[in-house]
Amino acid sequence: MSAQYDLTSKMIPFLDQHLAPPLLEFLEINELFYTPTSLLEARYELSLKTNMIDLVDKLHGELEEAGVTPAAIELVKKREEILEQLEASQSEARKVMDVIENPDVINALRQDKLQNLQFLKDNYGMTPEMIQTLYKLGQFQYSCGNYGGAADMLYHYRVLSTDDNLGLSALWGKLASEILVGNWEVAYEAVQELKESIDKTHFPSPLHQLEQRTWFLHWSLFVFFNHSKGRDAVVDLFFQPAYINTIQTSCPWILRYLTAAVITNKRRKTLVKDLVKIIEHESYQYRDPVTEFVEALYIHFDFDLAKKKLVECEEVLENDFFLVAVQEEFIQNARCFISETYCRIHQKIDIAELSQTLNMSKEEGEKWIVNLIRDTRVDAKIDYKENTVLMNTNTTSVYQQIIERTKGLSFRSQVLATSIDKREAAQAKAAQHEKNHPSTEVVA
Amino acid sequence: MSRFFHAGESDSDDTESDFSDELSASDSGDNSDSDSDDSGSDSDDQGAGKKAGRGRLWEGSLSDEDDDEDVVRVVRSAKDKRFEEIEQAVNTMDNKQKINDWVAAQNEFDRANKALQKAVGIIAQTGTPKFYVKAVAELEKAIQSALDKEKSASKKMNASNAKALNSMKQKVKKNNRLYEKEIQEYEKDPENYEGEEVVEVKPKVKKAKKVVVSDSEEGEEGEGEEADDGFTPVGAGGKTVEFTQENLFKKLREVAEARGKKNTNREEQVRILERLLVVANTPYQKIRVLLGLISTQFDFAAGLSGYMNLPLWKNAEKYLNSLLTILESNTGYAVKEDAPEEDDEDKDRSPENGETVFIQGSIVAFVDRLDDEFTKSLQNIDPHTTDYVDRLKDEVGLYSVIVRSLAYFNRLGATDAICRTTMRRVDHLYFKPDTVIAAVESATAALVPASIAQPAQDSSNLIHDLCVYLYKNASSLLRTRAMLCHIYHHALHNRFFVARDMILMSHLQETIHQADIITQILHNRTMVQLGLCAFRGGLIKEAQAALQDISGTGRVKELLAQGLSLQRHSAVSPDQEKLERQRQLPFHMHINLELLECVYLTCSMLLEIPAMASAGSNPDARKRVISKPFRRMLDYNSRQVFTGPPENTRDHIMGAAKALASGEWEKSIELINAIKIWDLMPESAKIKEMLGRKIQEEGLRTYLFTNASYYASISLEQLAKMFDLPLANTTSIVSKLVWNEELSASIDQISNVVVLHHVQLSRLQSLALGFADKASGFVEGNEKLLESKTPQQGERPKKGANASKEQGTGKQQQQQQQRTMGSRGGGRGGRNQFNNGLGNSVRGGRK
Repeated sequence: MSAQYDLTSKMIPFLDQHLAPPLLEFLEINELFYTPTSLLEARYELSLKTNMIDLVDKLHGELEEAGVTPAAIELVKKREEILEQLEASQSEARKVMDVIENPDVINALRQDKLQNLQFLKDNYGMTPEMIQTLYKLGQFQYSCGNYGGAADMLYHYRVLSTDDNLGLSALWGKLASEILVGNWEVAYEAVQELKESIDKTHFPSPLHQLEQRTWFLHWSLFVFFNHSKGRDAVVDLFFQPAYINTIQTSCPWILRYLTAAVITNKRRKTLVKDLVKIIEHESYQYRDPVTEFVEALYIHFDFDLAKKKLVECEEVLENDFFLVAVQEEFIQNARCFISETYCRIHQKIDIAELSQTLNMSKEEGEKWIVNLIRDTRVDAKIDYKENTVLMNTNTTSVYQQIIERTKGLSFRSQVLATSIDKREAAQAKAAQHEKNHPSTEVVA
Repeated sequence: MSRFFHAGESDSDDTESDFSDELSASDSGDNSDSDSDDSGSDSDDQGAGKKAGRGRLWEGSLSDEDDDEDVVRVVRSAKDKRFEEIEQAVNTMDNKQKINDWVAAQNEFDRANKALQKAVGIIAQTGTPKFYVKAVAELEKAIQSALDKEKSASKKMNASNAKALNSMKQKVKKNNRLYEKEIQEYEKDPENYEGEEVVEVKPKVKKAKKVVVSDSEEGEEGEGEEADDGFTPVGAGGKTVEFTQENLFKKLREVAEARGKKNTNREEQVRILERLLVVANTPYQKIRVLLGLISTQFDFAAGLSGYMNLPLWKNAEKYLNSLLTILESNTGYAVKEDAPEEDDEDKDRSPENGETVFIQGSIVAFVDRLDDEFTKSLQNIDPHTTDYVDRLKDEVGLYSVIVRSLAYFNRLGATDAICRTTMRRVDHLYFKPDTVIAAVESATAALVPASIAQPAQDSSNLIHDLCVYLYKNASSLLRTRAMLCHIYHHALHNRFFVARDMILMSHLQETIHQADIITQILHNRTMVQLGLCAFRGGLIKEAQAALQDISGTGRVKELLAQGLSLQRHSAVSPDQEKLERQRQLPFHMHINLELLECVYLTCSMLLEIPAMASAGSNPDARKRVISKPFRRMLDYNSRQVFTGPPENTRDHIMGAAKALASGEWEKSIELINAIKIWDLMPESAKIKEMLGRKIQEEGLRTYLFTNASYYASISLEQLAKMFDLPLANTTSIVSKLVWNEELSASIDQISNVVVLHHVQLSRLQSLALGFADKASGFVEGNEKLLESKTPQQGERPKKGANASKEQGTGKQQQQQQQRTMGSRGGGRGGRNQFNNGLGNSVRGGRK
């Protein structure tokens, strides 16, 4: 299995330096595509930009073990500096926190942010600058790897702050922190909030907004594929015109996740049509086994190819950080899709062959089909003697057709009649009006 | 003294040839049998706007002493007239100022100046008359003393006199600035000033004469030479004096002032400037002269319809090139539109301590003009002659000028000019295939210094870079144009998806109808090219959608600006026709219309025939027309009693369509392949192969649609064999039909047959269906009726019926108007529908 379907390198540019390491670790653990040392190096590089000195130190050691000696850095000194800084901003933020955590204050706070600020300023002498320290501390803690603390600080900051720009950054920070803590419930809320503010905020240029959306798409993957409601949300979100455009313009590889989400989502079968259109449209610039599977099934109706692609999909999903969890589900659902399509097109199906198409043994296949017939209420019978499935085609009967065609007629006639009545009445009224006030007409 | 002498000597070598040219020119221009140079200059006098004259008189009279010829006297009398006028004015002025009558003095001064202006040509040649210099110098002094006196005097002079005195002071001051040098010279030695001159000139004239004579022996031809022999020196001598570095700027200004005036002889001006160019030494002078020279070249081309004649155009190009060369080698100078105005125009300037000297002028305007004239000439030359090809060869030169000026503007950092010129460059490139661009680029690189332009390696990169620059810096109109050119280029190079994404993402189609007509034409061209590109890539549906709106209108020529359509309903005013003519594209940019039609009809065939077969007898489905022109042609073709063998492209396609409809795909392919025009497409063999495959597939679909009712089941293998398609492919096509519910059938996997489901209707059933249809039609009719009788909102119900009638007629009028507007508007017709066409087909995926 080649690395050509690995998206990590494509995605990392759109991820935060704290969000990228989990992906790299995943690759490292599964011993995929890249040499462990190069992955280690990459993680080391990333960690250098953060303030997580301990991690840097650890990775440094590991790298040395692996036989690569990275350039030495002044860790001890840096650590002291960072600690000092942390201390300083913490003590600054302490003042604010003391005020905020005061129960009286909490009770006095209202919805209106401006009013709150005024209140804090009047009663506790808090200035907007002081509130900013919360943001700074949050940022700093995040940089140090203390995500929980960072999330807290940023939450408080967002409650108080009126600065839209910093508010947006704080939201990003909060989302990242929650993701890294693994607090999916809160992260899910943060995603929704962030989406709203990205849509609402007026960016200096469309390009800027596009960039924000691209980032957002990538970050949200963490949440959507870990939260229980995530897969519904991901379909809802990604199919919105703005986000589909973003995917098409700047990151077509997100299509894989969208496809996976649609296929694993049983209730969203109607969306398959839209998905097929997009995949067909973008096939010139992005394709991987997952999209090719859909293409083979719904565009070419080539079941052999779909079968082959399904095998490949299995492997791709297994090696994908986000999709590894849904792999089983995906395969099940994909089989469902295949058999459904197959049944709709065919009248008489050889069970053996269908099982083969679905990568199953004959017995398994039979069971599968029975289940399918029961679940989806397909009108079909198994002919045991010939070992085939017979699909009953249901053509709409002539009576049905006539009923369909004439269904609306009586209602439409009724509407017609009432509107004629109304018109008559209006005319009569107008005539009366004219009779009563003939002078107005003359004057006019 | 030595000044004149010097100039005469040093320049005579260079200017001789010019003189002889000029002489022969003036001689030939002279109808009267003139055997003297002076009468020659007389004729000049009339032609060149009273040019010859006074100044030369001095030399004339002097040479009188030398070679005693009566012809010279003719000169004198001819020039004396104006000369006397000045002298008279000067004398009177002298007298009046002595008696302190400043009003009269002012009048005389004005008269003298007017006379002087009339004699401007002669003065340009000989320098200012000495007596005039003396007079003005004295005048200034007199005014000064009068003013001093006035200050101290107890009794003031009367008001009008004082006013005149003051204004005189201003005028003289200004006037004298022009003659600063002469006055200085005069001041040095007031007594001998005039006399000195007499002595001075003598040797000079002799010298000049000698040189010119020897030259005329070599260079001049035949009879005129002998006749002129004696007189040449005078004229030549005079002219040698004419153009010197010192008076260069003055001449230049004179030319500039005369420009655009009624009786200005343009040729004469060009000649003057050309000689000035020879004289010019410093870069500053050269630049100034060249700027003037290029403008005068362009002055020749007047009027809307004509075009600049080729030698002139080439001259302009040559001068523009040399101007650019000078600017390239002298980085201290810059020509700018908004250069600060200089107080002293006549001073030679050179860059000091790294500062740049700015000169007023507009190179970008020159480039624009040069390019426009080039296009104009191509529009007017018959494209089927060698002239056209020859003319086209000049494009390389023009292109190199554009590249050069681009480099120059880059150095200057003039964004606006860069944008305009870049756009010109793109305009020259975008429609050309790679090899041509590469050839143009390398030829350009050979023409310009290596430091300026390296031949671009990859044409696509070149276009991309240029366009990206425009996207970033240019105004919205240029951006739009650049975008369209870029898309066109992508389409030309078979990058359909890139081109399509660009056109969709730019949202050009929504706003293009607000753009000017030229841009709309470019848009139409781009869409057509996009369609052709899709066709080459085998994307029939996309190709049809892209071409639909241009080809479907029947006004292809007009929409692409490739000719005027003759069959107009409404009369077009000559003005409009002229405008339309101006918009026409030069022939070499044309898209082959026949090929376009062929592609469009072929696409329509591949889409229409299966659609028609699938519609069957269903009236609703039959109404859905994909391509009207195709249907019309097919109808017409099938109505004919006797159809002969296909002759033209249309016949071929109609024949192929009919064959396809009846399932004879082989015949259809044969007919399509017989169309000769495919050869114009690159890789025509591949395209034919692609078309063959498409015809097979569509043939299969058509066959299934038409004949489904006659089969209970049909073997897939049989189908594959019938249409010579692989079994997998056949299965896939049939599956698709079943899945999309276009065909009520299903596949029996075991025996590998398609089972077709039919419902045989009993008579009662079909009657019931018909009844249901009629009933719904009836209700619909009622609804429509009510709708038309229902009054508009806000109107009195009583007037309802009337109002709707009015509205109806109003609509009709509007439609008519639209129609006429459309036919006049050139690139305007029906684009909107087309937008929706392509928009939907591709944007569908963009939801």
